[in-house]
Amino acid sequence: MLRMNVAVCVKQIPDPAAPGELDPGTNNLVRTGKLILDDSDAYGVEIALRLAEQAGGGEVTLVSMAPNGEVSGLRTALAMGASRAILVSDEKLAGSDALGTARVLAEAIKRASPDLVLAATESTDGYTGTTPVQVAELLGLPAVTFAKKVEVEGGNVKVERQTEAGYDEVICPLPALVTVTAGVVEPRYPSFKGIMAAKSKPVDQLDVAGLGLSPDQVGAAGAGQRVIEVADAEERGAGEIVEDDGEGFAKIVAYLEQLKIV
Amino acid sequence: MKFSFTDEQIALRDAVADMVAKECPASAVRNAWEGGPGYDPSLWGRLGAMGVFGLLVPEPAGGLGMSAIEMVLVMEEVGRAALPGPIVEQAAAAMPLVAAVPELAERWLEPALAGEAVVTFGPMGDAAGRGVVGTPWGAEADLSLVDHGGQLLALTRDDLHSAEPVSQVDGSWRGALLTPGGGLVVPDGDAQGRAGWERGALAAAAELVGLGARMVEMTVAYVTERRQFGVPVGSYQAVKHHLANAHLAVEYARPAVYRAAWSMARRESTQGRDVSFAKVVAGKSAALAGRVALQCHGAIGYSFEHDLHLWMKRAWVLQASWGDAAVHRARVARSVIAGHTLDTSQGSDEA
Repeated sequence: MLRMNVAVCVKQIPDPAAPGELDPGTNNLVRTGKLILDDSDAYGVEIALRLAEQAGGGEVTLVSMAPNGEVSGLRTALAMGASRAILVSDEKLAGSDALGTARVLAEAIKRASPDLVLAATESTDGYTGTTPVQVAELLGLPAVTFAKKVEVEGGNVKVERQTEAGYDEVICPLPALVTVTAGVVEPRYPSFKGIMAAKSKPVDQLDVAGLGLSPDQVGAAGAGQRVIEVADAEERGAGEIVEDDGEGFAKIVAYLEQLKIV
Repeated sequence: MKFSFTDEQIALRDAVADMVAKECPASAVRNAWEGGPGYDPSLWGRLGAMGVFGLLVPEPAGGLGMSAIEMVLVMEEVGRAALPGPIVEQAAAAMPLVAAVPELAERWLEPALAGEAVVTFGPMGDAAGRGVVGTPWGAEADLSLVDHGGQLLALTRDDLHSAEPVSQVDGSWRGALLTPGGGLVVPDGDAQGRAGWERGALAAAAELVGLGARMVEMTVAYVTERRQFGVPVGSYQAVKHHLANAHLAVEYARPAVYRAAWSMARRESTQGRDVSFAKVVAGKSAALAGRVALQCHGAIGYSFEHDLHLWMKRAWVLQASWGDAAVHRARVARSVIAGHTLDTSQGSDEA
């Protein structure tokens, strides 16, 4: 393949280093402040850039949905080397659930006509982990999840898919959607030249009407899910103390097995 | 006069902050104490790839053609991380000089921009008139630019007759007394050397602001966590007032550094005075931050295992480098008395 066009779903999230806040009415995360690129999406961006480089050409298009026309997170990924971005921003999108978000992303992705769609396995602020496969379904694309290695050969994508026991090798015809796990590649740091170039890269801003979606398919109006209740996470317990009678190691092995570490 | 930074300048600063936070944790600073070259070659490569060494190099020469304003923002973050290595020497003092001298640019510009070659700058000069020059990382650098008997010499390792190590209170710092056995006399070396020294002094001031700010942050975190008599020790006024004083000093020094950067970028006639003023207040603020941090940490702050001393000792060394407070105060005084003239004379460190 001479050119490789990759669309990467990226989420711009409130800085996880700052304390988050929930809207007391809807229990949704407050996203009014500055948003940053979700760290877990940097891996998808890095893989996309490498695939385009290896193919000898092509475009990496970022696709994002964010309130208030927020672009700071997109600029970070553009500075890494992505060519352009499609941002969907509309007040009507507030309160969207995973499926509503997937509808928006799928429509936006269509505009990039990619050979491959990449996404993280889940976002750092939402954690549903369902949006990417919903996007694939809406686009009628095959989905390969939990990729730890992604290669393109001919018209196929070859994926090492992380499993509990190791990994499966999956070969899938393009176009396809692949979700990548965090930590599998080292995302590049944006260079100063990249940061300056990012300023002039195109960001197409679209709203719900522009995507051809009806307002009742998205946002709180179209949401089939609602956050009913929020509870504090359980405090960390004191841990279990085991007296070593010479067989202590067996308890450790059993504990690690239960966690599927060994 | 525009007093705020552009989005782009903030983005450059944040990119460096993000990178050094991940790639240069306290353990990396401590590693430089353990021996080795006193810098991390892979981090040098990352700094090069990011463009830090090209900041002040003109665009046609492969740099970014930026100014002292971007430079101080970057150096403040470098200081916040206490990044070990001749970063002030290479990125601020030496690189524009290397780019400007064709004989040096041909061989060294490309590898130095990429962070594959280490270039240092000997700001101490031949202080004792013994024919040797004190140079930070002089034994480790691929190229040393040093003031030798009134001449600016470019020395490769092959040009060194000897390099005698000099120890410092900051164990991550590497210094050497170089005895040149050859080298290239840099044309127009006097003016080039003075300009390099000026950039180094400003970069050191910015680094001191970062060091001071980080020491205050470290201490605030510690006194919020450490409890005594049932409450965090930071809730006591005696501790709060100390930290407020240190914070105030750092916050006061930062705009002085920014002002000096603006003067340098605009080639204002007050540049020398502004750089010296910045160096004095930044050094003082970092020293105060260190002293307050040490006191508020209590006994743990004195221990080698605690990270505080890595930052504090760097501040001590930087305060005395690139002209100590006496040198810079004298320059401010001369400039004030003489009025606004472009005073780029660096005086001497024994002043």
